[in-house]
Amino acid sequence: MKAAAFEYQRAESVEQACAALAEHGFDAKLIAGGQSLVPMMAMRLARPALLIDINRIAELTTSSEHGDHAVLGACARQQSVKQDQRLAARVPMLRAALAWVGHIQTRNRGTIGGSLAHADPSAELPLAACVLDARIVLRKKGSTRTVAGADFFVAPMQTAAETDECLTEVHWPLWGEQRVGCAFDEVSARHGDFAMVAAAAQVQTGEDGRCTRAAFGLGGVDAVPRAFPDLAARLVGSALAAQDIEAAANTAAGEIEPGEDLHASAAYRRHLARVLVTRVLSVARDRSRVSGANAQ
Amino acid sequence: MDANPSERDARLFRYIGRQRAPKENPRFVTGRARFAADVSIPGTKHVALVASPYAHARVKSIRTGAALAVPGCRYVLTGEELCAGTNAFLIGVDAPNVKRYALANGVARYAGEWVAAVVADSRHLAEDAAELVEVEYEPLPFVVDPELSARGAAPLVHPEHGSNVLYRRKFVWGEVERDFAAADHRAELRVDWGRSATVPIETFAVVAQWNAATRLLDIWASIQMPKFPDQVAQALRLPGNAVRVHYDVDVGGSFGVKRGIKHTVLAAYLARKLDCPVRLVEDRLENMRGGDMHGPDRSFDVAVAFNADGVVKSLRIRALDDVGAYAGRSPLQLGKPVGAIVGPYRIGSVEYEPISVMTNKTPQEAVRGFGQAPTNVAIEAAMDRVAAVLKMDRAQLRRINFIRKDEFPYRIPSGSSYDSGDYHAVLDKALAAADIGELLVKRDLIRRRGGLAGIGIATCLEPSGGNSAFEPLFNPKNETTTWMDSCLVRVDLSGSITGVMNTSSSGQAHETLVATVIGEVLERDPDSIRVARADSLCALPSNSPVGSRMAIMLGGAAAGAARKIRQTLIEIAAHNLGLPAQALRYEQGDVIAAGDPGKRLAWAELVEIAHRKFHRMPPGREPGLQAQFVWEVPTGGTLPGADGRVQMYPCYSFEAHVVLVEIDPLVGRPTIRRYVCGHDCGVKINPQVVHGMTYGGIAHGIGAALFEKFAYSDEGQLLAGTFMDYLIPSAQEIPQVEIVDHCTPSPLTTFGQKGSGESGYLGSPAALVSAVNDALAPIGASLRALPMTQKAIWEAIATRTSRHRRESAAA
Repeated sequence: MKAAAFEYQRAESVEQACAALAEHGFDAKLIAGGQSLVPMMAMRLARPALLIDINRIAELTTSSEHGDHAVLGACARQQSVKQDQRLAARVPMLRAALAWVGHIQTRNRGTIGGSLAHADPSAELPLAACVLDARIVLRKKGSTRTVAGADFFVAPMQTAAETDECLTEVHWPLWGEQRVGCAFDEVSARHGDFAMVAAAAQVQTGEDGRCTRAAFGLGGVDAVPRAFPDLAARLVGSALAAQDIEAAANTAAGEIEPGEDLHASAAYRRHLARVLVTRVLSVARDRSRVSGANAQ
Repeated sequence: MDANPSERDARLFRYIGRQRAPKENPRFVTGRARFAADVSIPGTKHVALVASPYAHARVKSIRTGAALAVPGCRYVLTGEELCAGTNAFLIGVDAPNVKRYALANGVARYAGEWVAAVVADSRHLAEDAAELVEVEYEPLPFVVDPELSARGAAPLVHPEHGSNVLYRRKFVWGEVERDFAAADHRAELRVDWGRSATVPIETFAVVAQWNAATRLLDIWASIQMPKFPDQVAQALRLPGNAVRVHYDVDVGGSFGVKRGIKHTVLAAYLARKLDCPVRLVEDRLENMRGGDMHGPDRSFDVAVAFNADGVVKSLRIRALDDVGAYAGRSPLQLGKPVGAIVGPYRIGSVEYEPISVMTNKTPQEAVRGFGQAPTNVAIEAAMDRVAAVLKMDRAQLRRINFIRKDEFPYRIPSGSSYDSGDYHAVLDKALAAADIGELLVKRDLIRRRGGLAGIGIATCLEPSGGNSAFEPLFNPKNETTTWMDSCLVRVDLSGSITGVMNTSSSGQAHETLVATVIGEVLERDPDSIRVARADSLCALPSNSPVGSRMAIMLGGAAAGAARKIRQTLIEIAAHNLGLPAQALRYEQGDVIAAGDPGKRLAWAELVEIAHRKFHRMPPGREPGLQAQFVWEVPTGGTLPGADGRVQMYPCYSFEAHVVLVEIDPLVGRPTIRRYVCGHDCGVKINPQVVHGMTYGGIAHGIGAALFEKFAYSDEGQLLAGTFMDYLIPSAQEIPQVEIVDHCTPSPLTTFGQKGSGESGYLGSPAALVSAVNDALAPIGASLRALPMTQKAIWEAIATRTSRHRRESAAA
């Protein structure tokens, strides 16, 4: 479990990082927190010829707010995002998801952008990005583009980012703080393990309790995290009663193609998908009706 | 050994049983321990390994050119060369054609078996080169199912052996047929114990150095292995005195698995061949797959005969154990449970059929309890079944069947005599501490709210004071009847005391043990006593810390040696004061005339006489102040009878577990809501150490019961080779544990102590099986295959629920 030989470069700016990516292409790999990449290198499952260290690039650690979305730099550490009170109020999904990500030791190093770029189909942050349809900003030498969360994840450990692109920031939609509830839940073998199934939901309800906006999705059940915008749209206008939620959960569970591994069969995953979607939609609904309930 | 009656009364102990911080704590807590991987010798080369990807394959050729071309790569050792230059290892059963070497001998018999070793200037380079070793394999038919192996319906793992069965015998002790025929009821059940182990943080590590001038091999290794130097010397074709094992390296966890003969033989062969120090530190992948450290993988078919009043009359146990591709000591793990085959119960007859079979999997090695924890699950599951059939309270059923405290020593049908115990008192204490009435209310409340909840009860024995009586039992050619341990105590000219032990430790706080015992006998502060370790050339005989034996055996040896010192001091004083020894008393190192406190010789004066003033020594006494004591296991020294009856370990600790488990009925996840363990290991030398072992043992047992399994695919590939798939419970999964102590001294040991190194682990898996099945009982489901993972629990629930639906629909 020693990595194969590699070169190391520290990029001082996004431009430098992009230049190095452009030069080395597939042989190069960006490293931020290294919480997934380094173990994969140690097991020689990944063997980049060049590591480009983006940890020192100041612009990648900033966060701000622009109109209808919060901007989070790719190198924001997971633990500091989890502890950010303002973000917890503005984008409650982040804290809800991060509670399930690894352990405090891994979150201290792990970054938001790193988790998205790694694109593990059972990881929590990619699911959150899909459900909220976050915008992922990719920069390369001379150009910048933005990819929707739902389009970013292509296959297990594979994203829409080209080999010369650097994920620089993530735009998280703001739903406002009133009558919005969110919930994240998952089943894993142990606390902090990869989810067998993860589910996330966010809903907004009106004064009458009826759903005005909804989003939900599942992780660990397919090649990529899955959001269900059409099923969520059908919930709008409903009272989010038990039968509304169950119908959504059943339909979603029927649409996924879960795999099988040592810890969970396809049937178990499908069952968990149904249970967890029901749970997160119910909890999100209840939280939307109690102000401040998202702050956990 | 005669016990001093005054030493028996725990209240009279000065240091034993007191709350004292273990001596080892500072170095472990401050990072000053020294492990094998910390041994740094200039010029050391590093080993990486080439492993077979096939479950069974002939090694047709190994091409090393590309590997040797890597700059810094020094050597590539093949199995062919190594096997020609070393002897096959000693094994526990009579199967001379099941040969094992450090590298595959022409045929790799499991996926992960080492077929070549690469030596380079660094571990990185060694791994680079290992990737370039080109091995041509011819895949062979293989077997992963132990039942097929047992039936002879599978490819042979070792064709020369003629069978995949390593050991099989049906023991019948007592009137089993008659008892089964006469009993009111009979029940049968199956229990499956999954392949798990202890998986210490430190993988196996060894540094070997050969000096061609002195012809001496120095070994620093993370071992816990009886007769390690002898086995290494045998395999390397060296005389025993050419191997010097340094026992003073700290071992980062073992609980049985740190055997390391193959690692050491490999590193030592290379050190000698290349004339440089060689270091082999397994990485986690090598450790999990090829480190030969998997534990028992065992299925039990149990039949139990019992009467309507709850009295259990007889047991039949067939135990099929899959030891993987080689033998080692592993088949003997079916032998140790013979010594407690009826648990703590007055069961009058037993049939026991242990079957040890080979498959194309990683070999099995000793794991905490040496086969007793799985056996305890089988026995306890049978007791729960009896209670269920009779609709009887499970605790009450156990009370009915417990050996009573006035029946000790109690000889069980298989020949072992239990030393002492008060099982009723310990169970009652545990139930009281758990507030069983309140626990039942909580369980039933969860059930009424639509949840699943169960209470688990397990009452289990921990045989301790490990001897090796299972060796002659399982191999008539082996006449081992001693499993001694020893200690040397020396007092230097300054009056400081040093206790010298003769083996390594892997976290059991033996230095605390030795210092406490010597301090107790000599009435000197244990904190002032140094404990050192002899290397194997200087050592008195030891059989290493296995079988929960060191409190008894090393403790007894240290006490024996310290008593000799005390006696010598009294005799020196008698000679110098002109008084008979009987007229003197020993007090904190000074010797004082009983009727005249003015007449005395102080510790410092006595020590000086011994070291400097031979003219004042009693005639016939050797100068200096030192004593050694080598002790045989109490009750040891006899061979098994023709019927296999044998006195196994001398002492029997007892534990009663009471747990409440809640299961999320939709997800299958079990959560432990309450955990109480009543524990009686006689007189505790250091309560902190005993509690630490018990906490760790319970956590380990929770792992075996709910999480951990070295799962294999049908193709014989290990599926759980990393910590992503081999799931060790973390602090998040382990509940708060409450330990309730009880003390029934052993009449066989120096201070009344028994063993505790396997405590907790010997009962917690049984308790969790009990709890999960109590939780599943209301829906008519059951689960007796470990680990009871979330998926397995959900499947048990789902199967039952869908059958229930079908039946309702049909009705």
